[in-house]
Amino acid sequence: MIETIYIEKKIKDHPRTISILSKFKKARHIEIDKYGEVFNKHNQNFRIQKNNPALILAYKKEGYVLPAPEGFGIGSSKNYYFSHMYNCIYDCRYCFLQGMYSSANYVVFVNFEDFDDEIKKIIQKHPEDSLTFFSGYDCDSLALEKVTGFAKHIIPFFQKHPNVDVEFRTKSIQIEPFSLIKPMDNLVIAYSLMPDLISKSLDNKTPSILKRINAMSVLASKGWKIGLRFDPLIHGKDWKDLYTKMIIMVFNSIPVSSIHSVSFGPLRFPKQMFKDIFKLYPNEPLFLGPLLQNKGIISYSNEIEQEMTFFCKELTAKYINESQIFKCSA
Amino acid sequence: MIEDITKEEKFSIRWVIALKDEAEIIIQQYRMKLLSEKSVFPIFKNSEETHWLILSGIGRHNASAATLYLYEKSKAPKWTAWINIGIAGCGVGHFGDLCLVDKIINNSDGKVSFPSAMKNSPFPRMELLTTDIPIIDYTSKKLIDMEACAFYDATSKFSSRELISIVKVISDGPSNNIKNLNRSIISKLITTNISNIIKIVLYYESLSLDEYKRLKKPEIFYKICNQWHFTVSQQHQLERVLRRIATSNIKENILNLLKDCRNSKSVMNILNKQMESYEVDWRNA
Repeated sequence: MIETIYIEKKIKDHPRTISILSKFKKARHIEIDKYGEVFNKHNQNFRIQKNNPALILAYKKEGYVLPAPEGFGIGSSKNYYFSHMYNCIYDCRYCFLQGMYSSANYVVFVNFEDFDDEIKKIIQKHPEDSLTFFSGYDCDSLALEKVTGFAKHIIPFFQKHPNVDVEFRTKSIQIEPFSLIKPMDNLVIAYSLMPDLISKSLDNKTPSILKRINAMSVLASKGWKIGLRFDPLIHGKDWKDLYTKMIIMVFNSIPVSSIHSVSFGPLRFPKQMFKDIFKLYPNEPLFLGPLLQNKGIISYSNEIEQEMTFFCKELTAKYINESQIFKCSA
Repeated sequence: MIEDITKEEKFSIRWVIALKDEAEIIIQQYRMKLLSEKSVFPIFKNSEETHWLILSGIGRHNASAATLYLYEKSKAPKWTAWINIGIAGCGVGHFGDLCLVDKIINNSDGKVSFPSAMKNSPFPRMELLTTDIPIIDYTSKKLIDMEACAFYDATSKFSSRELISIVKVISDGPSNNIKNLNRSIISKLITTNISNIIKIVLYYESLSLDEYKRLKKPEIFYKICNQWHFTVSQQHQLERVLRRIATSNIKENILNLLKDCRNSKSVMNILNKQMESYEVDWRNA
């Protein structure tokens, strides 16, 4: 439950602000000049805030759409991401957001139309390139959909631009934005997955793997394209067995024809980010794994990364074409 | 010699209060005693040293100086929760109401701060204006005091903002003239709220204890540091690997493993080796 909502004065009368506020009738409203007054200040305690996060409604001034990091993509020549929100209602122990901000409060930007304009400009600038836009980089793209309505807003935009792809990456089982419209060829709903046993330990506050698979199955049956994101790959005792069972379960639940792409990503943290996250959760089993430091990055060894990627890729290739399988190295 | 100040498992609370009459019931409740007659500001503490309280006197400068003085004098650890409690004027609410502050405006320069307030609090939350001179114009409908912004500015420099609490009890307003306030009324205002104050303190004791558990270094860390010389950077690495070992299922006697080590480097090599090929068993995680 949200107890406090900070509202930038500039957007206090914005229709989207009013709509969001109406969903939290008991919350206390506090007006602010800019979201930086309460978000990511020094000496904020992410771990304590995570137990009682506030919502911040803000106006985004710039940086609506950014180039995706190198190695992040599903086949297009140019990749971009956009984030209508900072932070996530889930609490996954491997997530970089824990080390990204000192604040766990959720920032929602209400000026969605500025995202549309920026995406449009990029499309016009690159008429010859294949483009993919990713939603859900600094947040989960659908987890707070009932509150923000961002997907409902942006989907019609991409209906008008069938030549570019958009991916909604999520762990949410929120399927409403897709259930009332016709499936789109240029829209992928991509689910982050890992073996249930590992997910139970690391994916805090998220829908279970089984529920995610059920949501995928419903969307697939309606004709939507599904992305499978085994990212990050998590090592541990019997990992081969755990990943085999999960991959078989996924492919038994969803028709192969519905699968747009599969990607695998290694577990990697920049050194400072790892230190920050480790300080927050020093007793987490995730950090026990055989992690090494190499060129400022904390990760499993190359051998482990390669073995895990190769194994899962081989397994997946039994079901789908290799051209649909990607390695995410971002 | 590196000292283990985290040995005893305990929370840490520090109080900054302007007036003796506001503090009296709290000093009694938490069994605090005056530390020294000669101190710049009077400081009280309980025998377990979990609660320390300083009487700052009125005004921002006093609040700021007293907060820093208490921080130094009590060697407040990182997991300390800081509480400022006192009376305040207000244009709304009732005489004697206890409120938590989640927005502070410094009347002298307009600077605004946003303290966080306790989770699931049964108490109302309000904005507060800190002024240098008493104000009897209550039309802003905010709480009015003379210390809180200085207390918050000082504490947020060395404490997590989520461990800072500002609590006010309404003492004057349009229908309660400030001139009628006396020592006995001030004392009564806080005393009648003591059960509410205890609820707030319990919340911050629990947050502080959680932070203590998170920040506490493994006991063996001190033993190792006192046996071999570690640079500051090595100490951080040592702490990380020891925490990982403590969380793992490794049952080896660590000091035994290290008995032949000549220096910190060989200690780190042996400890890192323990974790190098460790496989997490997710069934027991």
